[in-house]
Amino acid sequence: MIRLAPLVVWGALLLAPIRLEAATLTTTQTLQAVISPLGGLFSFPNSVTLAKTGTAFNNFTGSLSIQYRERTTQSTGGGTITVKATADFTPANGPSIASPPHAGDALTYTCSAATLGTNCSGPLTVSTAASTNVVTFSATECTGGGGSCSTANPNTVTVNFTLTDDPKYKTGSYSATLTFTISAS
Amino acid sequence: MKKILTLVGVALLLTAPLAHAQLGTSTGTTTVTVAPVAEAALNITNGSTPLTSTGTNFTNYTGSTGLTYYVRTTQSGGSGSITLKVTTDFSPANGPSVATPPNAGDKLAYTCTLSGVGTACTGSVTSSTTAATNVATFGADAHTVTFPGGDTATTAWTLTNDPKYKTGSYSATVTFTISAS
Repeated sequence: MIRLAPLVVWGALLLAPIRLEAATLTTTQTLQAVISPLGGLFSFPNSVTLAKTGTAFNNFTGSLSIQYRERTTQSTGGGTITVKATADFTPANGPSIASPPHAGDALTYTCSAATLGTNCSGPLTVSTAASTNVVTFSATECTGGGGSCSTANPNTVTVNFTLTDDPKYKTGSYSATLTFTISAS
Repeated sequence: MKKILTLVGVALLLTAPLAHAQLGTSTGTTTVTVAPVAEAALNITNGSTPLTSTGTNFTNYTGSTGLTYYVRTTQSGGSGSITLKVTTDFSPANGPSVATPPNAGDKLAYTCTLSGVGTACTGSVTSSTTAATNVATFGADAHTVTFPGGDTATTAWTLTNDPKYKTGSYSATVTFTISAS
């Protein structure tokens, strides 16, 4: 009888329902994203033609619209869109940005209707030596979504060009290259 | 014991929502093109041109008209000119007349001088109410020298002082035309 007791106990233990308990361990991982200031030019027009109407020797004019998106740092950021003539008019004997036939000849521009940032007022003179301003961004500026950001997405600004019609230009066709640069901080 | 690790992750968008797939470019280039063609323009610098006679012996009336002109002719094969025509004869009647002078030798004539591009008319030219007469001619690849001020031309007038003119004041209209091709 006594020998059976341990067996009974062990049997009871073996037969007793085993409760399965899963141990749950939770750990967390922190993901950190650093949102940086950013600016980009989109759908950039690859050409603009300067033309004229009306009075002889009045200026040539033309416009182009630039699309952009921008995000500047909160409180302390800024940015710009600038333009520079990276290639002067060619061939020779026509208009020239760096060495015009007469001192008063110039390729100038005004800016209008920037939907984010402050556009230049002008007229400003395009240069082959230095970039000149088109749009200035201040801190906490951002494209799209409304609220503290612009409603428009992408943003746009219009640049209106004027070129002196100097009689000294020989007849023909002349082209220059302008490079626009956007920055954000 | 089965360990179950649960990772909690949060998906973050790393860029602005709508720009996520379009980063744009930091620079963009555009080609600016212009095509100057033959052009011409002129201004008359006198408000009017009085003709006066000095002395008492029926010396001719004289005066001058000043022009400022701008011209660009085509590089190859281009040309141009400045001409004038009396578009309204002297009035009222009984004074000088370009079309029907009192005497056959009466005339309104001019000489030309240029300061700038072009070739001035040669000698004394008799003006006409029926045809334009030459002031200056331009060849191919001609360009105004002075800009923005413009080149200048002068027509120096001479009008016969015919005693048959009745006393009074008489006026005619002269139209200057500049062209370039």
